[in-house]
Amino acid sequence: MNTPDTQRKPMISIRGLSKTYGGKGGGGVLALNNISIDVAAGEFLVILGPSGAGKSTLLRCINRLVDPSEGQVFHDGTEITAHRGDLRAIRRQFGMVFQQFNLVKRLSVLTNVLTGRLGYRSVWRSLAYSFPEADKRIAIECLARVNMDHKAFQRADTLSGGEQQRVAIARALAQQPMVILADEPVASLDPKIARQVLGYLREAAQELGITVLCNLHQVDYAREFSERVVGMSRGAVVFEGPSSALTDDILHRIYYREPGEVEKDEA
Amino acid sequence: MSALTFEAAVASTLAAESQRRGKRLARTLIWAAAAIAVLWFSGAQIGMNPLALVKGVPFMADFFSRMFPPDLAHLSLLGDATLETVQIAVWGTLIAILLSIPFALLGAKNTTPHPIVFHATRMFLNALRAINELVFALIFVSAVGLGPFAGVLAIALHATGMLAKFCAEEIEGVDRGPIEAMQATGAGRLQVILFGIVPQVIPAFISYSIYRFDVSIRAATILGLVGAGGLGFSLIKTMKLFKYHETATCILVIFVIVLVSDWVCARIRARII
Repeated sequence: MNTPDTQRKPMISIRGLSKTYGGKGGGGVLALNNISIDVAAGEFLVILGPSGAGKSTLLRCINRLVDPSEGQVFHDGTEITAHRGDLRAIRRQFGMVFQQFNLVKRLSVLTNVLTGRLGYRSVWRSLAYSFPEADKRIAIECLARVNMDHKAFQRADTLSGGEQQRVAIARALAQQPMVILADEPVASLDPKIARQVLGYLREAAQELGITVLCNLHQVDYAREFSERVVGMSRGAVVFEGPSSALTDDILHRIYYREPGEVEKDEA
Repeated sequence: MSALTFEAAVASTLAAESQRRGKRLARTLIWAAAAIAVLWFSGAQIGMNPLALVKGVPFMADFFSRMFPPDLAHLSLLGDATLETVQIAVWGTLIAILLSIPFALLGAKNTTPHPIVFHATRMFLNALRAINELVFALIFVSAVGLGPFAGVLAIALHATGMLAKFCAEEIEGVDRGPIEAMQATGAGRLQVILFGIVPQVIPAFISYSIYRFDVSIRAATILGLVGAGGLGFSLIKTMKLFKYHETATCILVIFVIVLVSDWVCARIRARII
């Protein structure tokens, strides 16, 4: 994988992003604390951190499943946090992959992938549960990319976990997104299958030029699959750099930071 | 995968999709044609005739004009009957809720002690649901005499049939995981039910019970037609005496009870679910 070209303008810029859950006038839970990150186009960025570090909230602030309390997110130079316009148009540019796959179990594999096209289609057409031929071609191509086209007509709940996640990746790809947000995509898979799924994700993203933000809590996968890592702890970024620089000291800071501990490079 | 084999794979899956869609369309058309034929035939047999309805409008208008305006002086005589209607519904539903718990456990595949018990219970519950409240009321009027108690028993039995069946199906649909976890602790059968199953089905059971109370209220308003107490008796009495203004008052009161019970049920549901 090539080192991201820092000369290019970033695909995603996050500036001073904070999110407080509940209690507007204080007493709420601070999930994100003044986060600023740049992600280059085509980069496979891993966001590493323990459960509860705010990784999921960060991803959801980008595609606006969660509205941030403060700060901005720029996508390809356009500010999308304050944007009150077409939320569908924003969201369809971000494919999402979830820890629990979130396939619609009673629908076929192909139909699940076709739902990736919903952001482009009118409600009226969807009422008939029908999709244009062009969408079917896109969906089947995406399935073939993750090697799941041979199970296109099976119900989603007949698949194993790894297979379900590959279908979920195909669904995200079918959106033809600029960015894929993967929220702990392999947390419920065994190591062999996890590597396979991450491999499919990285390969497809590389071939299609899609930027990936991937939340992980396993250090091994971060070292293996990304060049650059952002480490998060208690809602703040505590590390940003190449995965080769992940020393024990830094890992300790990411995973075992005590509540009162001051970060000297946090300014 | 090379570009050529990739394209070939995509093309063959696309072709398979179109073939499957063709077959499904053909099947849908055949079934739709059959359904339309059956519906048309049965509609003709039972004399469904929109024209008759149009022709009947003046007669209906005449009926309603004789009911209007409702005789509000009659309202004061309906207080006891109204209260009785609600009381019948409350007691009938309460007994049904209590009875349906054991029957639901016996009639669910995953909690029944034996398949024979399962089938027998389901058969019994089917029988309870097959017999309408009015029919039960007729039976109980002859058993315990005219009056509201016959109505309570009628509603209790019919409602047990419904509640126990719904609840049994809910029990069969619970998540297996927690049950396995309870079994793994060495818990006995009943303990597994108490801790692994009951918490999972409680919300649905409460929801069904509230809905059933709503149905019971409506059932209780007509049980009086066969002498099992409540507003229905006033309804049939005033109609037989051709006092249509008073009939209108009865209908009005029934309408208000149903509205109020609907409102109360919605509030309770919002509170506990």
